[in-house]
Amino acid sequence: MPDQAVEETGGVRTAPPAVHVEGLWKRFGEQIAVAGIDLTLPAGSFIGLVGPNGAGKTTTLSMVTGLLRPDQGRVQVAGHDVWRDPVEVKSRIGVLPEGLRLFERLSGRELLAYNGRLRGLPGDEVDKRAGQLLDVLDLAGAQHKLVVDYSTGMRKKIGLAAALLHNPEVLFLDEPFEGVDPVSAQTIRGVLERYTASGATVVFSSHVMELVESLCDWVAVMAAGTIRAQGPLAEVRGDAPSLQAAFLELVGAQGRDNGESLDWLGGGAR
Amino acid sequence: MSTATLTSVFVRLKLSLLRNGLRQSSGRRTAFVVSMVFVLLLAAVQLLGLIMLRGNEHAMSLVVLLTGLLALGWAVLPLFFPSGDETLDPTRLVMLPLRPGPLVAALLVASLMGIGPLFTLCMVVGSAFALSHGVVAALVSLVAVPLALLVCLALARTVAAANIRLLTSRKGRDLAVLSGLLIAVGIQFVNFGVQRLGDAGGLAALDPAAAIVRWVPPASAIGAVDSASDGAYGQALAQLALSAVALVLLLRTWRHSLTKLMTAPDGSTLAAASEPTRKGTTSGLHRLLPEGRTGTVMQRSLKYIWRDPKTKGAWVSSLAIGLIVPIFNALQGTGSIYFACFAAWMLGIMMYNQFGQDTSAFWMVALTISSTRDAYEELRARTLALLVITLPYTVLVVVVTAAALGEWHDLPEALGLSFALLGAMLATGAVASARFPYSIPQDSAYKNVAPGQGGLAWLSIFGGVVMAALLCAPVIVLTIMLNASAGSGSETQWTVLPVGVVYGALITWAGMRVAAPQTARRLPEILTAVSKG
Repeated sequence: MPDQAVEETGGVRTAPPAVHVEGLWKRFGEQIAVAGIDLTLPAGSFIGLVGPNGAGKTTTLSMVTGLLRPDQGRVQVAGHDVWRDPVEVKSRIGVLPEGLRLFERLSGRELLAYNGRLRGLPGDEVDKRAGQLLDVLDLAGAQHKLVVDYSTGMRKKIGLAAALLHNPEVLFLDEPFEGVDPVSAQTIRGVLERYTASGATVVFSSHVMELVESLCDWVAVMAAGTIRAQGPLAEVRGDAPSLQAAFLELVGAQGRDNGESLDWLGGGAR
Repeated sequence: MSTATLTSVFVRLKLSLLRNGLRQSSGRRTAFVVSMVFVLLLAAVQLLGLIMLRGNEHAMSLVVLLTGLLALGWAVLPLFFPSGDETLDPTRLVMLPLRPGPLVAALLVASLMGIGPLFTLCMVVGSAFALSHGVVAALVSLVAVPLALLVCLALARTVAAANIRLLTSRKGRDLAVLSGLLIAVGIQFVNFGVQRLGDAGGLAALDPAAAIVRWVPPASAIGAVDSASDGAYGQALAQLALSAVALVLLLRTWRHSLTKLMTAPDGSTLAAASEPTRKGTTSGLHRLLPEGRTGTVMQRSLKYIWRDPKTKGAWVSSLAIGLIVPIFNALQGTGSIYFACFAAWMLGIMMYNQFGQDTSAFWMVALTISSTRDAYEELRARTLALLVITLPYTVLVVVVTAAALGEWHDLPEALGLSFALLGAMLATGAVASARFPYSIPQDSAYKNVAPGQGGLAWLSIFGGVVMAALLCAPVIVLTIMLNASAGSGSETQWTVLPVGVVYGALITWAGMRVAAPQTARRLPEILTAVSKG
């Protein structure tokens, strides 16, 4: 695929996919975390990357965002190679990783100010955007507290604010709803829906199928380091009653212990 | 559940925790065995020393003060090592249907297991043996030894229970991270005290202090053995009673705070919500710094020196040691003004492992560096933040050392050497930060390197220091040549100052030029290396 932002196909101008991955591999010692995946995620969609714990979602997202070097393979974001053209890619993406710290000894507002200025935005603009993001994400009351004193939900929200501050084309969120209370989750959802409605792309990983089903229009299913299915939500779901059922079938986790060995559990006999 | 059953459950719990802790890693097992051997050796030496002290006329003074010091240690210990003993944290037991009475007894017995209590027992037995003369004194010892030991343990437990809210909060953990510093400073004071003791004519200097401490529990129990040996039975009884009363009072306080802890709601979230805010504390600083990445990074680096306990600890010890070594040497008459370069060296070490100091939050930096230019600006800003403190401090140390020695004519020369060394340290530090990053564990005051990266850290700092010395060689050679050709006090020595300034600045710039492309190229590798803590 040519390295340009817009390509010509039969006279019709089409935007390149938000993310294009070819033959991506990553091994950690003996263990293969990602086993040669190919992935094409359309721009302007709300995309869910689903899979059980240890499927390789975080590793994949880290490699796609340039935070982890793949052993092999090619990654393009918005038509630009992540490893050969970091200037173009890094200004276009926002990232909320999982399991990495923030600069926790800054207050929420200081963290946004720091992040925005590092990205080269003018100071006044950063402060204006930070104020609005803090308001919308319901963090205005805690903006002068150190992030180290934030709860999990507050951390996810301030991380999201930092990822959105420079108005990226593609937003990568690793488990953005993990450990988040329903109120904060609803707030995050509202912001993300507004963001994608304007044509931007969100790629987020999760193992909560109901959430993915209600939010996403495009899904990729991962298990054991490979992509088991990818496509529009309805296509991946197929004839199954829900995404959950389709997912369990895809990863082959159906018909386990039906619970006979726990016959003492519950009311009645003691 | 009866007290006896509960006690056996807790003793087994404690042993299981100890065993499983050791099973976690071979490093931990080795550390445990080494510390066990070390403590037992120390205890044996102490015991031997105390036995040899028997009959010395000042034995009582020394022994009583030692016991007092031991008790003080037990009182402070839980504040610094809150995670050292999981059975210390009663909030873990909240969900269990336990009464505070039996719980206190069971926890007290369980806390007898361990290296600390064993060491304390050796000390107390040795102390009693050093003082006891006669049958009555021996009998008093039989009561005094367990009493003193139990008071120590109850003291530790009571302090821990009373402060558990503090200890499990973020502030408490910050405090624990700074404890290494307090202990290091404390050792300096003890060292100073021992030297003073030598000057003041030996153990007799302790007598006035001991006269008071021997009435303070648990030292009073040991004091009772001495009183009994002297035939002052009434006094012995009073001293024993004092310790016993203290034990009862401690147990009651402990029981009270346990009851309160296990019935009151957990206030940890409330505490977080009422943390003080930081509005406008640094707006002044912000206006002084340049715009863009330089000012932004400098501001964060400077804030972290104050707010991050690990960084703060490293800075305070570097600043303190950098000043103490040249000044103490100067005051003792063995110093030289060139020792003042030590400050530049100590502070230059702060440049090493810059990205490791960020912890895994380095991803935020990594995502904004997309060219060598960005990496250069990042490194330059971090260096400038360091220079805000190191430059005036280096000047201060050199000037103070010169004043202490009265060697004013060597001042420009020492300053020039210091600046050259500082520049070389900053340069090698920048390169080492890019080439040999490693994780700094955030939860422990004593671990500065993540497991498995010790060799890397050592290579980084030691190799860097050797390189810095080599890089400084031209300025060092110039200094030696000027001194050799013209003798001390010559007119040309001042030239080392401008040469050192220019050389230091140039080499710092060159170091960052070398480090910048490597940083930009190795971002994912650096992030992986610093995310292990």
